[in-house]
Amino acid sequence: MNPILPAVNPPDSNANSAHPLAELRRGEAAVVAGLAEVAGFDDGHGSGAIVLARLRDLGFVAGARCEVIAKMWPVGDPMVVRVGGSTFALRRAEAAAVRVMRPEVKAAAQVQLALKETSTALA
Amino acid sequence: MDAVVSTPSLRIALIGVPNCGKTALFNRLTGSRQKVANYPGVTVERREGERAALDGRALRILDLPGTYSLSPTTLDEAITRDVLLGRVADAPAPELVVCVVDAVHLPIGLRLALEVKRLGLPMVLALNRMDVAAKRGVHIDMERLATELGVPVLPTIAVKRGGADALIDAIQPARWEHHRSVAARAWQDATAEDAEQTQTDLRGVLAAVGYSPPKENRWFERIDAILLHPVWGLVVLAAVLFVMFQAVFSWAEAPMGWIDGSLGKLGEFTAAHLPEGPLSSLLVNGVIAGAAAVLVFLPQILILFFFILALEDSGYLPRAAYLLDRMMGGVGLSGRAFIPLLSSFACAIPGIMAARTIPSWRDRLTTIMIAPLMTCSARLPVYALLISALIPAKAVGPFNLQGLVLLALYVAGIVGALAVAWVMKHFAGVRQYSPLMLELPDYQWPHAGNLLLGLWERVKIFLSRVGGIILALMIVLWFLSSYPAPPDGATGPPIQYSFAGRLGAMLEYVFAPIGFNWQISIALVPGLAAREVAVSALGTVYAMSATGDDVAGRLEPVIASTWSLATACSLLVWYVFAPQCLSTLAVVKRETNSWRYPLIMAGYLFALAYVASFITYRVIAAIP
Repeated sequence: MNPILPAVNPPDSNANSAHPLAELRRGEAAVVAGLAEVAGFDDGHGSGAIVLARLRDLGFVAGARCEVIAKMWPVGDPMVVRVGGSTFALRRAEAAAVRVMRPEVKAAAQVQLALKETSTALA
Repeated sequence: MDAVVSTPSLRIALIGVPNCGKTALFNRLTGSRQKVANYPGVTVERREGERAALDGRALRILDLPGTYSLSPTTLDEAITRDVLLGRVADAPAPELVVCVVDAVHLPIGLRLALEVKRLGLPMVLALNRMDVAAKRGVHIDMERLATELGVPVLPTIAVKRGGADALIDAIQPARWEHHRSVAARAWQDATAEDAEQTQTDLRGVLAAVGYSPPKENRWFERIDAILLHPVWGLVVLAAVLFVMFQAVFSWAEAPMGWIDGSLGKLGEFTAAHLPEGPLSSLLVNGVIAGAAAVLVFLPQILILFFFILALEDSGYLPRAAYLLDRMMGGVGLSGRAFIPLLSSFACAIPGIMAARTIPSWRDRLTTIMIAPLMTCSARLPVYALLISALIPAKAVGPFNLQGLVLLALYVAGIVGALAVAWVMKHFAGVRQYSPLMLELPDYQWPHAGNLLLGLWERVKIFLSRVGGIILALMIVLWFLSSYPAPPDGATGPPIQYSFAGRLGAMLEYVFAPIGFNWQISIALVPGLAAREVAVSALGTVYAMSATGDDVAGRLEPVIASTWSLATACSLLVWYVFAPQCLSTLAVVKRETNSWRYPLIMAGYLFALAYVASFITYRVIAAIP
């Protein structure tokens, strides 16, 4: 159980759905769709929930614009992301928990859907 | 008892996210009228200061640890929340909260302000770095912000003289004292609904005050393109560390000479003007020699801290942590451990204390356990003495052999630390994920005033150590090595008959297998209190063991002529690993709140040192 954010995995069935932030390339920008718990940092003691809550408090909330500033070799772990005017270093697992919409798929309807998904997730 | 009951002081707390300029504002408000202590029961640093309000009454200002949220992930953040809730003994809830918000990065600070405001404490908002915000195209309608929040909003520029005047005008006790007697509050961690509400409020306020994110600073982008680059970033980091350690040695040389010289003169002067006897011996051999042996490192410690404070202030250190996170992760450490471990090169104590900023207990414990393996400045005198006495200063390619040996000792400590961290990762308990999530602040020039205050704090801590523990130990050692006096007709040096001599003879059984003679064995005992004392202890021991007129002979030639190379190398290796500083162990006890970890630490370091020294001694002794 996650007291802060219930786990949510946006269906990846269609190509226009949200991607993990970790997949973005250096210099790429996107809009945050929401947060989703991922395997990797939940140890069964609720630390996954703490990570998600902190990501949210740092400004990774639906609708926020973010941009990848730097990625460490070889696989972008950790990476540097700018969001809400501040800059953060995130590990790959942390960045994977942030779901983003790439600009090319940013149809208005998609943003609506993403916002709805997040608000369901946060409720 | 408070004598001035009629005008009690107003308790103010500064709160803000990390890097918002809160501590600079605190320094601006209180100047040097501040004291640093700990919260009861925990070792979170408690910075408190005083200043007079405009009506002359006292303001007691508390600088709370920086936090992004009232849902804490670290001990520091938990303390911040608990102080605001009035849950911390000896730290009653503040009567006024000054929420410091960086105007350039308004959203993240304002979110915290909204959360704090919900606690219902009287609050003002200090909108800091207004000058930078204006330059970067950030416009904030302050009147509107005040209306939206329902609290006064004051512009501040913490790093400028007079930059806090508007804030001081606003915090006159008369305006706030009717809020007195705030009881401990009920508190529930923020639920998903609360968090969502805060985000909605935040969006509303940001839109109302007309906030737009800062224009990208072209210079910062160019600098980051290099400093965060996977290759060039690491090259620059290596260069920065090289320059830092180079400076510690070369810049410190001259001032160390002055300190050594003037205290030496003081010793000669004292010896010449006092009648020979126990008092003269105590002053010259015990007090002055002991103080000189330790004070001589002050320049090196100051230079090292100068670099660390300047790098911290400039915003570079979190970037170094980012670069190293992956590599340090290989042995089970977080990139966040870089800052505590770097401080440990100055002294393990501030390093171990800096480990508090690591959220995961496991990572924090690993960092604490390996911090003493970073070569602290107190080992330098021992290294310097032995290397100059026994290692020839011949050239090896473009390098000097002495320098290479010194470098090898530093590397040995680091490799040892990584190995211990690796072992801890594989043999200890459940793996818990520990997040990085580290903010990379804007670059800025280090502020001279803040730098000087930081250095002054270190000098105070160091001098009180010299004045306290170290000096007392030197006097005790002098006593132990002077009494009882040798019997009439004794032939050996007087120290052999003293308490210290007998203790050394006993310890020699333990240390003989690794090549230590009784003089070294004695010197190791006061070295437990503070490593650097071992040098002056050796000086005292050899001075007092001389039988004739050669008492005043310098230590270096004595060592060069009486120790074997194997013994000296064994002692050097011993110093890389051995648990030789009781204050470090005491800090570990305080930080971990248990005797278990300091005991484990002392045990494993002792075993490591003994084995490594044994191998070194045997191998070198076997070489013809």
